[in-house]
Amino acid sequence: MKKEIELKIYILFIIIFIPVFGFSQNCSLTISGNIKDSDTGLPLEFGNVYIKTHSIGTSTDSRGSFQLPNICKGNYHITISHIGCESKQIFVQLTTDTVLNLTMEHSINTLEGVVLSAKYTLKTTQNTNIISKQNIVDNANENLSNMLESINGVSTLKNGSGISKPVVNGLYGNRLTILNNGVSQSGQQWGNDHSPEIDPLVANKIKVIKGTSALEYMGSNLGSVILVEPKKIEREPHLHGSANYFFETNGLGNGLNLQLQQYNPKIAWKINGTLKKSGDKKTATYYLNNTGNQEANFALQLQKSFSENFSTDLYFSTFNTEIGVLRGSHIGNLTDLEEALEREIPFFTEDDFSYKIDAPKQQVHHHLLKIHSNYFIDDTQWLDFTFAGQLNNRKEFDVRRSGRTDIPALSLQQYCYFFEGKHQKIFKNKLKLKTGVQFNITDNTNNPETGLLPLIPDYFSYETGVYLLTSKKLNKSFLEIGLRYDDVKQNVVAISSTIPREIIRYNNNFQNFSASGGWIYSVSDCFSISYNMGYTTRNPAINELYSSGLHQGVSGIEEGSTALQSEKSLKTTIEFNAKIKDKFSFESLIYYQNINDFIYLNPQDEIRLTIRGAFPVFKYEQTNAEIYGIDISGKYQINTSLQTKLDYSFIRANDLSNNLPLINFPTNNIRGSIVYEFSKSITVGEKQLENFTIELNNIYVFKQKNILIQQDFVLPPTGYNLLGIKIATDVQLKKTSLRLTTKVDNAINVAYRDYLNRQRYFANDLGVNVTFGVSLKF
Amino acid sequence: MTKLKTVITTLVGATLALSSCKPDEVPVIPNEEEVITTLNYTLTPNTGGTAIVLSFQDLDGDGGNAPIITGGTLESNKTYTGELVLLNEQESPSGNITAEIQEEDEDHQFFFQTNIAGLTVAYNDQDTNGNPIGLQSTVTTTDVGNGTLKVILRHEPNKSGSGVTSGDITNAGGETDIEVTFNVIVQ
Repeated sequence: MKKEIELKIYILFIIIFIPVFGFSQNCSLTISGNIKDSDTGLPLEFGNVYIKTHSIGTSTDSRGSFQLPNICKGNYHITISHIGCESKQIFVQLTTDTVLNLTMEHSINTLEGVVLSAKYTLKTTQNTNIISKQNIVDNANENLSNMLESINGVSTLKNGSGISKPVVNGLYGNRLTILNNGVSQSGQQWGNDHSPEIDPLVANKIKVIKGTSALEYMGSNLGSVILVEPKKIEREPHLHGSANYFFETNGLGNGLNLQLQQYNPKIAWKINGTLKKSGDKKTATYYLNNTGNQEANFALQLQKSFSENFSTDLYFSTFNTEIGVLRGSHIGNLTDLEEALEREIPFFTEDDFSYKIDAPKQQVHHHLLKIHSNYFIDDTQWLDFTFAGQLNNRKEFDVRRSGRTDIPALSLQQYCYFFEGKHQKIFKNKLKLKTGVQFNITDNTNNPETGLLPLIPDYFSYETGVYLLTSKKLNKSFLEIGLRYDDVKQNVVAISSTIPREIIRYNNNFQNFSASGGWIYSVSDCFSISYNMGYTTRNPAINELYSSGLHQGVSGIEEGSTALQSEKSLKTTIEFNAKIKDKFSFESLIYYQNINDFIYLNPQDEIRLTIRGAFPVFKYEQTNAEIYGIDISGKYQINTSLQTKLDYSFIRANDLSNNLPLINFPTNNIRGSIVYEFSKSITVGEKQLENFTIELNNIYVFKQKNILIQQDFVLPPTGYNLLGIKIATDVQLKKTSLRLTTKVDNAINVAYRDYLNRQRYFANDLGVNVTFGVSLKF
Repeated sequence: MTKLKTVITTLVGATLALSSCKPDEVPVIPNEEEVITTLNYTLTPNTGGTAIVLSFQDLDGDGGNAPIITGGTLESNKTYTGELVLLNEQESPSGNITAEIQEEDEDHQFFFQTNIAGLTVAYNDQDTNGNPIGLQSTVTTTDVGNGTLKVILRHEPNKSGSGVTSGDITNAGGETDIEVTFNVIVQ
């Protein structure tokens, strides 16, 4: 009995004194700070900041500021959320009053080139669009190019559903540089049926610069670039990550992606792996046989700080894919093509679904290793060094005789080494100066296992580039000027087309010059104008110089020309930006590009007779060309929950010398969406559904009218309209958060063909597709 | 700072080391064993006499020099036994493509098209499924005339397609491996 009383007193003692002890432990600490939009730098109002485990929370004011007073010493996971943004967790070891300057990323594609604000640090005067992490995860079933299509002015050149490459303001392949983590993607970019070998799920951000010249980057761009960027590892000492899974009904596709990361003062690491598999896709009414694909990708990121001003990071990624090509699109000669064009449904169409991938197919492996070091000389200047190696291995299989189907018909191996040194300095008068030197070596080899004469020859190419970029903010203006010089050497070893086969060597040397200037002028707080002008030259690529042979997909013989000279491009853009608070934003980009000595495939009068019949001959020739267009985007926030968006993209491309349209340029399109986001969370049982959004989107693609009948085998397909639905929500669990998405593409199962899809000669495009996605963050 | 120097030296060194390798390696010329350079269509009169050989020869394959095509003259109201021989004459001795076709006979079929009135080509051989191949054929002439005879080889045709076994190419599909046209006179 006595013992019991003692115990009760003891408990009482604890109850009374704990808060006192707590107080004496210092529970008067304050966490304060502000939240800004990561892309615009503008403060975010009504953002939520809370510590879930302690049920403490607040929201930000009109300046984006917040305060959490009376917090005890200790370790906390702080969750921040904002309507339209991806929620974020921050780890804090609280010992004293702490100020957190946080940024959040909008999950809807943002327009970076917004109105100048005092707080906004501009990166470039050129038009930049961003696809955020959440958008990447929500569209995990799509490849890089299809993901980019959500940006106004970006389209995709496809060869069926599995193979696609991005087209930015009409340019692609040899004329568009894609940077994977700062390294220009090397591979067989010349091929219209060669997709960029990048897993978008590794990236945290994909940027598209629709510019006049991207001087900082090596590669043969004529203005625009695509940057795929994995983020730096966050300073978070615990193991965190995410697991994403999707299932899509069209092709019965499955995909799994796992990401893990941990920060440690010794070394920070992050791994990312993706597995995808999908079977035959389906049009509105029939299967596209042999269009399955599978992918296995992995990436490793390591970061180490040796001292306060010296850090190194390492990045390794491997991309491996096998893609089936529609069997009915594999043809032997022009007669076969004509027969295929006549048909409603392609040859070899079967009623059965299959995951099997037979010839014709592609097998591609791409590996990248990058080491980057960053050294701060002082607070105003720093150095960057990058070394990167890439290996691209591409094998394409055709249906062949006598068991040769298992032997690739095209087998290429490309090694690429890149070195870069970069110096950046910010002067006292806020003038920024960036200078850099770059070397690149490419070693491209045909594997003789094919038993066929190669389409492009073996070659070595050496590129050396130097550049200088400077930018400065002056009152209401922001100015940018840059220069670049490249020296390109090509050593080519080709095989003769005559008997006996001989080795022919070519040694080329090209010089490329680029210069650009840009100016943004902020008329008022809500309106700005920017003007950019750039001059760039691009030397002819190996395929344009030395291609020789039959291109099966198009039933034509392609021939390079050694007489080609560099293309010279002069591009001007004018951009208008308006933004009235968070209510309304408008962006309009007008561009005009004049390309002298534009290299293109010109159909010849000659019809070449071979044992497989007669084939039209296409030769790489040069002409003067113009490309112009306008991309308009408008966004209107009707109320806190309802947002509408409208995009319109118009483009024209003409051959000025011959007074003809240019073929294979994108069609005009108009796109609209209505997004409803519940401002409060919805309670289902014990769970809270946050950021619950319902989106209705629609795209209308116009018929390509800027083309003559004699320029193609068949008339361009008619315009089409596609309706889409997307529903998404976040669910906060105890220690993790879950995101659930459902998407319906081509909701009314429209049968259509797209002008930029080369398979339009043979089959319809994809029918309805429903995708379910689950993303778990821990 | 020493670490920085080490890193720079390593990176520059690696770049130089790689750039010093020269492309003096000679590419291996692929062995083009799959190429068909020659098609000979030998027509032997059933009643005896000299055989007529229609031939297509393109020794350097696609591109390079133009192929040599030899037509022929047939007699009217006669029956010929036709035999097709496919060769790869880039190899020495010549690669026998006819044997490759015979090995995969279910996946191959020849089609014959002509605009000469009365000239017919009938199949005279069968694959393992009892469908025609066309390596062996019977050519019959009636009237006198001038025109062309086209020989087509389809890889992976749909032999069960309507009319395909009787020589109608319309529903055959597949890919064309050979399509050659000969000038033929029937006198």
